Amino acid sequence: MAEKGTYEWSSRVGVVKIGATKSEGGTRGKSYTIGGSSNIPFFSEKNPPRIALEICDDIAFWPGLLKDNLPDITADVSEWAKKGEMEWGADLIRVYLTSTKKKHFSDFPGIKKVIDEILSGTTLPLIIEGSDSPEIDSDVFLNCGEAGSGERLLLGTAEADRYRSVAAAAIAYNHAVIAQSPIDINLAKQLNILLRETGMPDNSIIIDSYTGALGYGFEYSYSTIERIRYAALKGDDDLAMPIISSAPDTLGVREVRESPPETKYETAIQWEFGTALSSLVAGASIVCVRLPETIKLLKTAIIDLSSPSVEDI
Amino acid sequence: MALKALDIYKLLPKKNCKECGDPTCLTFAMKLASGKADPDKCPYLDPQAKEVLGSSTKPPVKPMRIGVGERSFRIGEESCLYRHEKTFYHAPGFFLALKDSSGESQISTIANRVEKDLLVRAGQDLRLNGVAIISDSKNPETFGSVVKKVEELVSLPEILISNDPKIVEAGLTYCGSYHPVIHAATRENYPEMCRLALKFGCRLIISEGDITKIPELVNECVKIGVPDLILDPCVDNLSDCLKKFTVIRKKAVTREDASLGYPLYLDTGRFKDRSGSLYLGILKYASLIVIHDLPEPVEKAALTLRQGIYTDPQRPIQMEPGLYKIGEPGKDSPVFMTVNFSLTFFTLQGYLESSGVSCYMLIVDTEGLSVLTAVAAGKLTDTLVNETLKKADLANIVSHHTLIIPGYAAPISGKLEDETGWKILVGPRDAAEVGTFLESLQSGETK
Repeated sequence: MAEKGTYEWSSRVGVVKIGATKSEGGTRGKSYTIGGSSNIPFFSEKNPPRIALEICDDIAFWPGLLKDNLPDITADVSEWAKKGEMEWGADLIRVYLTSTKKKHFSDFPGIKKVIDEILSGTTLPLIIEGSDSPEIDSDVFLNCGEAGSGERLLLGTAEADRYRSVAAAAIAYNHAVIAQSPIDINLAKQLNILLRETGMPDNSIIIDSYTGALGYGFEYSYSTIERIRYAALKGDDDLAMPIISSAPDTLGVREVRESPPETKYETAIQWEFGTALSSLVAGASIVCVRLPETIKLLKTAIIDLSSPSVEDI
Repeated sequence: MALKALDIYKLLPKKNCKECGDPTCLTFAMKLASGKADPDKCPYLDPQAKEVLGSSTKPPVKPMRIGVGERSFRIGEESCLYRHEKTFYHAPGFFLALKDSSGESQISTIANRVEKDLLVRAGQDLRLNGVAIISDSKNPETFGSVVKKVEELVSLPEILISNDPKIVEAGLTYCGSYHPVIHAATRENYPEMCRLALKFGCRLIISEGDITKIPELVNECVKIGVPDLILDPCVDNLSDCLKKFTVIRKKAVTREDASLGYPLYLDTGRFKDRSGSLYLGILKYASLIVIHDLPEPVEKAALTLRQGIYTDPQRPIQMEPGLYKIGEPGKDSPVFMTVNFSLTFFTLQGYLESSGVSCYMLIVDTEGLSVLTAVAAGKLTDTLVNETLKKADLANIVSHHTLIIPGYAAPISGKLEDETGWKILVGPRDAAEVGTFLESLQSGETK
């Protein structure tokens, strides 16, 4: 049945390019156009949503569940990224530079080395999460930006009270940024405006409205993603950026921690899968997870959700 | 189009007779306007007014009760496509599938699991809802005997699944008085299925994969006199599920097509992706969901997702105020004060638990507001905290008289110290930092 005209929107979500191939001045095997939807999620979607594998360069600051279940890969960040691409089927690699969380961190050249290693370990486009303390932001982000020069990274994370360093690095080296606000459509809008004032073009901003883990406020995040997506479709240019969703607390929630050993890992997978799938249905263009099994489940689900339907418009 | 409460009020008799169950005609009008009441409840409404009201005030998705007794539940009554527009009212019922070819032990395993499985989250009991009995044997006697067996074991809502009216009737012999749901009426069998639904007072599921043909079938069943219908658009992949359910719900809530204004039925057994289809059904409008295999992790995630999505965005889940223990706290253990917004509570509880330090949580009643909002709205006050402190008899439970408050509550710390006479320590703003805070507290840095 042709449902033409069931949904008529006046505008669309903007697009952001992530990654750069050789012809685009980088070294990545592929690059992605994120966003661009002119309808509600999965109704005539132009660019499919992407799955990012989250990894880190210092496992001490990472959920224990991963160390317990995948001990051999988590020691070497470059190998980890490679596995994510070759064996687990991730579309993107999101690296958290957790090493910068160490007290009095100052090994800034080390950041470049880590990024170089990952760039040679995988051909996928990268998302790099720099520091999360304002004192070292500037040095960390500049080093990230420089190390990934030409690669069109997605740099994280800009927040309302600390966005200048990451924006400066992104503008200097032509990367995109993640703009994170705490589960509130108005705060998301405000931050986009602030970023624009620094000179960030709209096609270099991806919104992260923050995703709470399933059972820990996820429903607020779900509705915020939906609201941002509809605001974009209805013509609010300040919110017309694609959305990234990651629920970083998922592997540590009580339901996972307190599961009996025989079902603990499977519970973690379902917690990640349920959260990420719901975020996609709400309107996220990139979802981030940490377990290989979740990537497989999400890939199958995205293909199934994107298959042609008689109800397509 | 929907009428405003005052427009509706003008059409009412204005007698304030209370016979509709509401105290005044105006409150009844307000309920009608929000689709929460049925105009038929007013005995004095003239027929013309009734017609005007009937089409514009009835909930766009027909409300109905599934099953009888303690475990019965309501579905339908929904009025929006997105929960942020208002709320989703009635969470979908989860039905475990049971084939009539199953052995005795499997029958009792499934029935007892639905009866007993319980997940308590945020003070709510989360449960599976019913049993879907499937005619696999195609034999009326076998089907009847399995229904009988289930009835002997448990009192739960049931869906009887067969396209053969004879088989369904064999089941209804044993459970007909408990208003089970029948699946399904089709273009071929609907007169017979309608007869059974009328005879036993069942909810009837209409099974039709072509959405354009559903209204015709619905109208036929309504003509025969079956009021409570449920729609099964026969979806078997995630794309069709999302799109068909969205189109149907959209036409229902915009009142574009009243014959689509019925709850939706989803059978996850038809999908390759069984957990994905379950999660999608929860998000996107399913009211009855049949589940064929349900590993415990999927069950937990689905119950949790359902609870969240069906929480009223205007009224967050609240915790009971009072004192909560983390680990095995003693006289010297630290006390963390925070608000009764469930999300704040669980987040702090999670981080405190993973810190490994035994302590107390003192929860004050901010009517479900977060710390930041409660401070801004003046709902988190020194007197309120002091009252809660006294009520919990904290002075006799710990010996140190020190209270740790959330970082965002810092503005009230001075007043709080004066009011309670306790030493107030301002903790971190972000619960994630509470572990580090506890470490510095123990090493004496904070003092």
